[in-house]
Amino acid sequence: MENHEHLEHTETPKDMKSKIWKTFWILTALTIIDIGLYFVLLENHSLAKNALFILLGIVKAYYIVSIFMHMKFEAKWLVNFIIYPMLFVVFLIALMLIESTFTASIR
Amino acid sequence: MSNTTALTTEKKSIWGGGKSPFSVSYGKLMMWIFLLSDAFTFSSLLVAYGFVRHTYPSPVKNELIKPMQHLEEGFVEQMQHVGYFTDDKWPLPELVFNHFPFIHGMHLPLFFVSLMTFILIFSSVTMVLAVEAGHRMAKKEVATYMIWTILGGLAFLGCQAWEWTTFITEGARLDSNPFGPMAFAALFFIVTGFHGFHVFSGVVLNVIIYLNVLKGTYEKRGHYEMVEKVGLYWHFVDLVWVFVFTFFYLI
Repeated sequence: MENHEHLEHTETPKDMKSKIWKTFWILTALTIIDIGLYFVLLENHSLAKNALFILLGIVKAYYIVSIFMHMKFEAKWLVNFIIYPMLFVVFLIALMLIESTFTASIR
Repeated sequence: MSNTTALTTEKKSIWGGGKSPFSVSYGKLMMWIFLLSDAFTFSSLLVAYGFVRHTYPSPVKNELIKPMQHLEEGFVEQMQHVGYFTDDKWPLPELVFNHFPFIHGMHLPLFFVSLMTFILIFSSVTMVLAVEAGHRMAKKEVATYMIWTILGGLAFLGCQAWEWTTFITEGARLDSNPFGPMAFAALFFIVTGFHGFHVFSGVVLNVIIYLNVLKGTYEKRGHYEMVEKVGLYWHFVDLVWVFVFTFFYLI
């Protein structure tokens, strides 16, 4: 019944396979850097260290979403539709940082 | 003038009907919307963790034990005694998650969780390779890569079961925690449990897809888009793990 239905989709690059493996090695390297940095910065408890780890996490997230989840090749509308709502999370983080700083001060 | 007309006609052609402005099928768009809502759920959980973590002072510097050193019997009690594990201080993750299966009595911080991370990254790669094979309608290749993805998922779940067992054996509960504040164990169980349940659901979906591939359902349908949809979910689980790993073990 459903034989060869029409599918709407965006183009996938021809060298997808090599892109996948390249992404795999990038993710592996970033994870190794993460673990290495953890031991190098063991005695550092600054906010900058936390920011560095979160930044590395975001870089990894970029590679997973853009290549593995194919988002780099999707229509602009889909990308905006998914990415912009994540600003709510940034807002939540900012609010909760302020709140938790206050809670810490009265604890 | 001609510029504006070009712009309006282009806008009309995107939202004018007849085709999806997102140029994806209905099912894929719905999967993206589900993943967005799931991202909000996980964000809330991780922000809750960050909140609680930030209200406690930073862990004390570890000067007692180095990686690969011998772990003594009653390590947790010893750490409590020297004041590393107390109710008013967040524990150093390095001192809590330092076991490895089959290697007893050695301080191996972060080794096991790194292994889990690599397992999940690798199963993500085999999943995307299955999607790529699906584009070429290569049924056999899709099946092979799906099997590897399922095995990776099961391996990850096994690792997590072992991690939980070790943590519980050492006395961690939802309402008590020998390593420090109660919230530390509670949040660990809730967040990794919620993520683990996602992995479990992903494995179940992958098995269903695998059986359908073998049956030739997608061959008959003319496309392997179902593999892509479940693939999106599977990569999302990997994506969440990146942040769980960062927050629970690195920070």
